[in-house]
Amino acid sequence: MLTRKMWRDLLKNKTQFISIFLMSLLGMLVFVGIDAESSGGAAAADSYYQSQNLCDIWVNGAGFSDDDVRTAKKVSGVKDVEKRLTLTGNAEKYDNAYMHINFMDSNNINRLLLYDGIQFDPDKDGMWVQEWFARTNGINIGDTLTVKIDSMKIDGIVRGIIDAPDYVYYVSEMDVMYPNYQKCGLVFMPSSMFPDQPVRYNRLIVDVRDDMSDEADIAVIKERLEDAFDRDDIAVTGRSQDLSFSTFDAEVKQHHAMGSMFSIVFLAIALLGIVTTMARVTAGQRTVIGTMKALGFKKSTITMHYISYGFVISTIGCITGAWIGYVTMPPWILGMFEGSYLIPNLKGKITATDIYATCLAIAVSTLVSFLSCRKELRDMPAVTLKPPAPKKVRHSALEKSRLWLKLDFATQWNIRDVFRNKMRSLMGIMGVLGCAMLLECGFGCFDSINGLMDKMYGELMTADNKILLSSDAGAGYAYDLSNKYKGQMIQESSVEFMSGDVKKSGTATIVDEGNYVHIQDSDFRSEKLSDSGIAMTYKMANLLGLKAGDRVKWHFVGDDKWQNSRIAQIYRDPSIQGITMRRKVYESMEYTFRPTSVLTNMTVPSDITDDDEVSSILNVAQMKSSFQETMEMMNAMVYIMVIAAVLLGVVVLYNLGVLSFVEKTREVATLKVLGFNSSAIRRILQKQNIWLTSIGIVFGLYVGWVMLYVICTTVSETLDMYPIISVATYIYSIAGTFAVSVAVNFMFSKKVKTIDMVDALKGVE
Amino acid sequence: MDKKNVSGQPLDIIDLEAEKDTDGSKVLIEFKDVCKKYQQGDHEFYALKDASLTINEGEMVVILGPSGAGKSTLLNLLGGMDSATSGHIMFDGSDLTTFNDNQLTSYRAQNVGVVFQFYNLIPTLTAYENVALMKDIKSDTTDPAEALDSVGLADHMHQFPSQMSGGEQQRTSIARAIAKNPRLLLCDEPTGALDTVTGKEVLKLLQDMSREKKRTVVMVTHNSFFADIADTVIRVKNGGIESIIHNDAPKDASEVNW
Repeated sequence: MLTRKMWRDLLKNKTQFISIFLMSLLGMLVFVGIDAESSGGAAAADSYYQSQNLCDIWVNGAGFSDDDVRTAKKVSGVKDVEKRLTLTGNAEKYDNAYMHINFMDSNNINRLLLYDGIQFDPDKDGMWVQEWFARTNGINIGDTLTVKIDSMKIDGIVRGIIDAPDYVYYVSEMDVMYPNYQKCGLVFMPSSMFPDQPVRYNRLIVDVRDDMSDEADIAVIKERLEDAFDRDDIAVTGRSQDLSFSTFDAEVKQHHAMGSMFSIVFLAIALLGIVTTMARVTAGQRTVIGTMKALGFKKSTITMHYISYGFVISTIGCITGAWIGYVTMPPWILGMFEGSYLIPNLKGKITATDIYATCLAIAVSTLVSFLSCRKELRDMPAVTLKPPAPKKVRHSALEKSRLWLKLDFATQWNIRDVFRNKMRSLMGIMGVLGCAMLLECGFGCFDSINGLMDKMYGELMTADNKILLSSDAGAGYAYDLSNKYKGQMIQESSVEFMSGDVKKSGTATIVDEGNYVHIQDSDFRSEKLSDSGIAMTYKMANLLGLKAGDRVKWHFVGDDKWQNSRIAQIYRDPSIQGITMRRKVYESMEYTFRPTSVLTNMTVPSDITDDDEVSSILNVAQMKSSFQETMEMMNAMVYIMVIAAVLLGVVVLYNLGVLSFVEKTREVATLKVLGFNSSAIRRILQKQNIWLTSIGIVFGLYVGWVMLYVICTTVSETLDMYPIISVATYIYSIAGTFAVSVAVNFMFSKKVKTIDMVDALKGVE
Repeated sequence: MDKKNVSGQPLDIIDLEAEKDTDGSKVLIEFKDVCKKYQQGDHEFYALKDASLTINEGEMVVILGPSGAGKSTLLNLLGGMDSATSGHIMFDGSDLTTFNDNQLTSYRAQNVGVVFQFYNLIPTLTAYENVALMKDIKSDTTDPAEALDSVGLADHMHQFPSQMSGGEQQRTSIARAIAKNPRLLLCDEPTGALDTVTGKEVLKLLQDMSREKKRTVVMVTHNSFFADIADTVIRVKNGGIESIIHNDAPKDASEVNW
């Protein structure tokens, strides 16, 4: 019978219980959905890496031969070593697609995953082409593909359609963050197809023994490899420094962090909902509880009965949410991954964490409902049967001040009401906070990405076109080009930094005279590049633990000459981490300036790429627009956040509205009897709502900023992203939140008219 | 005759009747110098002071007194719904004042049926379900349908309290109380919220409980007309017992007018 009573009571208070149900559902939906998605993604990547034997260590350098392979193999802990020549070039067709090109003479490490055609065979001429690139460009087995590397042209028959475990994510120089695998290809060929023989490999890939594969062991092996080669021109890196591996890893971790944060907000609101609702239900059933006690029900039976409300609702909500989350979120998000990460068999996976989290959420909800109904169970039945003693209203400090007397009645009444119903007010603030936070975060993501683009191609680099030179281009060609297009020459080269024990790879940018490259200090103020020293990016300096004035050791990859330079400046660059210096500073270190690109604002004819010296032209406007197209992932995130924000706001505020409306009915009726008209009462009620909404928005905007900061800083190791929130975003968030809040409140304040004075003031039975 | 056999089994009713005929009544409840004190701030206040009384098994007792006289306190103490500040309350040889919370709960569940002034039915349960609820607390309950039938509500069993009249709700409340087969039936102003005609029906029901089913019925009221139908009338005033009068020829409930 008590079970029947519970169901009917739930039905009677359906609005509140539905909102608790929805909040626990949403909380678990997001948590389990994202956890299953990220765990599933991580698991799919792991099993892919495992089955295709992804290398543990990369040795980057130049001129590697079989001797070096032998040297590396001798290092204790190393299981296998292979060599690669990894270059970039362009496809002759397919819109001059940017190509990552690998030459190899064996393929036991980083094994290609074959979709169509035959397995890679070093003795068989041909090309093994990445699946996405092949599919989107209509390349089939048996077609001939031509790639250009500087002035070299290599033709080959397509033998296989593949994916590679060390290339789950890669970008061309045109892409900033979001890859476009139609315009950026990947191809593998046997070494015998490289025109310059013998091949001077630039990379060794190392597979460590299975029993030495944890991080500490790998660090030891990395050191041993460095010692074994004893060459300064190599860089030994692990998976965490590899773009492909680390980008996906960071993506998964970021999802995890965001998922947890969202869930906590929803579940916190569900808990607050349970507190307020259960307190109200039990307070409303005070007489019923007293009767049950008088009839001889055990305290434990009554307690269990009321606990079961919270338990049942949160159990249904959490389990439904977990199930929906598991079924819908992973396919959706992982589906969007498909264009970004080339990992096969991406699917969601339920982990033990999901089950624990669901149980924990249910347990906490149950505990909270226990705590909120405990009060009515304490006393003897004779006491509980009587109406409760009036709530103690203490005069707050404010009320004792002189200011209080100057406030109008509405303000006084609302202040008292807020303080008397702290939980309810807090819950309202939390709901508004969540709503504002999500809106700000959602729109802020847009702002930050766009801001990043504007910064990179509007403030730091102001040229319209960037002509990328091939390695065939001599200095003379670059000078001519620069004169012809009134351009600025720059050189971008890979370097390795060392400070103490920390080693990091990055880029050195050397700029010639010109006006297209600018730098900004760590607070984004424009600064002049030092005439006498090197400038280091903020993120790189942080990674190395350095500041302006410190010295850093660095060398070009492929050159064993180390420099020890003082950092004259710290500057901030979102996408390229490393150092920047003037040409004269560079030349004073006795290097020769070798331009790699020319920046210009003049229109460059597209047939210039026919020259062997030019590898491609990067048009900033074009790049920006193609970048927008590839932002699907970001759009989806923003949609989720905006939908969640509105849902959250409506559900919480509606629940709150029902609660406070019921509680205030008598007071409102009294006000009516006293002669206040409905619209005056509505103004009074709306006033409190506006206060709480405003407080919620202020905190929400702050928390939203913090969250955006976390999202931005966890995006990737190589990107120095920072939260940017535009005025429009602030306006949207504030206006959106207010709109939700006022709209929901309007529905309730409309009911003021319907309150029947006589009815409301009758007995409390 | 085994005088100690008072476990409330149907058989005992016959025993008790026999007992009453031969050697008078058996004492069910005895109050010895019972006090109930309330503290309100610095102010102490006795709701009941040095109350002593006895109630025999099977009696119909009416406790009379004006508002605030202490009659509700008396009823609460009788029903184990409140604890006394001092004194002793003996129920069938056990001292209620020594009971802990669990013992009191079990005492209420096993021995006491309560009829409230405002019925106190559970609004989300039907009449039948309200009565059937008693199965959750006591094993030997009367069948709910039978109990409702005995108060004349066979046709209203599946109605919710809000669909019933006050009299019907009060009869449901009585059905709920008697379904437990309690040894002690406590009624707090049972007709207080009812009109005269319905009130009389309810009174009749309660009197029958005492007369025919030999239950001990204790009724609290401020209506002195009810004194006529009681075997014993206890008058309460200012927290003390003013008088205890035994009525040799109680009137029939249908003869009372107010």
